[in-house]
Amino acid sequence: MMQKRSKLEQTLLTALTILVVVFFMLPVFWLVTTSFKFGREAFAIPPKWLFFEFTWRNYTEVLETTKIGLFLTNSLIVSAGATILSLVLGVPAGYAIARSSSRVLNMSAYFFLLLLMVPPVAMLIPFYLIMRDLRLLGSYASLIILDTVFDAAFVVWMMRSYFADVPKEIEEAALVDGASRFAAFWRVALPLSIPGVVAAALYVIIFSWNDFLFALMLTSPATKTIPLGILASFSAVEISWGRMAVMCLFAIVPALIISLFLNRYFIQGVTMGATKG
Amino acid sequence: MTVIQEQQVVSRRGGWGDGLRRMWRGEGAYLAMLLPLLIFVAAIAIYPLLFSFRISLFKYRLTDPNQMQTFVGLDNYWRAFQDPIVLTSLRVTLIYVAGTVLVEMVLGLALALLLASEGRMIRGTRALLLLPMALPPLVVGLVWKSLYNADFGVIPYYLKQLGVDVGRGPLAELGWAMPAVILIDVWQWTPLLMIIFLAGLKSLPIEPYEAAFADGATRWQRFIHITLPLLKPTLLVALLLRTMQSFKVFDVIYATTGGGPGSATTVLNFHIYTVGMTFFDMGYAAALANVLLVIIAILSALYIVILERQQL
Repeated sequence: MMQKRSKLEQTLLTALTILVVVFFMLPVFWLVTTSFKFGREAFAIPPKWLFFEFTWRNYTEVLETTKIGLFLTNSLIVSAGATILSLVLGVPAGYAIARSSSRVLNMSAYFFLLLLMVPPVAMLIPFYLIMRDLRLLGSYASLIILDTVFDAAFVVWMMRSYFADVPKEIEEAALVDGASRFAAFWRVALPLSIPGVVAAALYVIIFSWNDFLFALMLTSPATKTIPLGILASFSAVEISWGRMAVMCLFAIVPALIISLFLNRYFIQGVTMGATKG
Repeated sequence: MTVIQEQQVVSRRGGWGDGLRRMWRGEGAYLAMLLPLLIFVAAIAIYPLLFSFRISLFKYRLTDPNQMQTFVGLDNYWRAFQDPIVLTSLRVTLIYVAGTVLVEMVLGLALALLLASEGRMIRGTRALLLLPMALPPLVVGLVWKSLYNADFGVIPYYLKQLGVDVGRGPLAELGWAMPAVILIDVWQWTPLLMIIFLAGLKSLPIEPYEAAFADGATRWQRFIHITLPLLKPTLLVALLLRTMQSFKVFDVIYATTGGGPGSATTVLNFHIYTVGMTFFDMGYAAALANVLLVIIAILSALYIVILERQQL
């Protein structure tokens, strides 16, 4: 930490860093380049990493032959629904847990943490049967509310530790001035905590956008989300990696945006959600 | 003080409306903010879990034309403990969890140490490494599946150049499939541990390092005797968190091996899915899912105890 590093050491560390970046970026790089390759070049041995014939054909084919628009719309509806619902339910709850002096309310945070840990498959089987009996299989609602259980649990857990770090004094001043507790939350604490809400929202968007297992069981052909759409567009017989790469790229757009441009919030989400008690 | 006085003023007025008002001004408001979520969770999560316990006591096949549900008590649970596939899948799960978590812990810590300094390049690198964990696991599985492909995959090609022949590709060979899926998990989740460890490293006090420096301790000695012990709570939390997540792996297995070859990568989670959604043996699947639930609940309880202790 305080010792100066030698020149050789510095070079070695830089080389190691480059190696790390290459390892973690190579699959993504492969995905991007494959989406611009003709079939024969995608299959070329030895692999062509940098020099290949560039084409947009995979993109036009995906837009023409698959229902990519529908899948993306469905993903958007489900993610938006789950995000809004889980924020509406989770943010005030997180605030209540952070501010309440009741021990029971404070401890309920752990209940939500436990909920977050429930294996999805344990929820899936009963939920599938219940949705079937309610004739809700294949509806957006079934997927949104099941996603929201886990999403909201995460929001509560994260927002609780976020609000705990927001100084109480301003809210207390507002209470003295005659504001209700809800007004103190809505007008004072919430505006101060927008970065935390953004971080939580980004997480929830990623969770629900990336979800596969729930969508696998609960969607119908009309409500398939993008991961399901990718699988459905390719039969086992005919696989075009180029076209699949294009669809995969559409599926990772939110991940790209968030990790490249909003990574500050993203990092905050990890540390707040995982390690803060 | 003023709040208390105000509450006393309100309470002196008495009456129903004022009682409610007082509730709303005091702790009751917090309960009201929590209540909608509690009701939602009770309906959408707790009820299904109870329902799942009920189904697990029945023999219930969805494929049965009469939709017969026969009460069989704990038979499904007994069946689970005698089912050789369940025992295999438990073993597979343990290997998968141990393999992924161990490698990710070590690599994550190494990455955190490597990328701990501040600087534009380092920060940019850290941001890039966030990408894998934000990707849909299904897409990650598909991408790696094509990288592993025996005929035109990049990985078998380079392995062959190195003189290693993997026959039908890493995902289809008995000895290779498990390390291959573990590598995918390592690729996707090591950065998560890096972030957690980075936050942990940043919160370490500086004094012990200064003392060690004055004593002429080497960098390695400082790492072993100061960093590791001080980082222990963070390491524990990260270990448990990843262990629980790793137990729940599904998408990547579904996309790559489908549990194969044979049952080499059939983790318990995947087996439950197969029993429930391929064979539609709901009672048995629910029983298996509840066994998994108990395993995870024990781990979660441990995690919570450690988090709670860390706060003190």
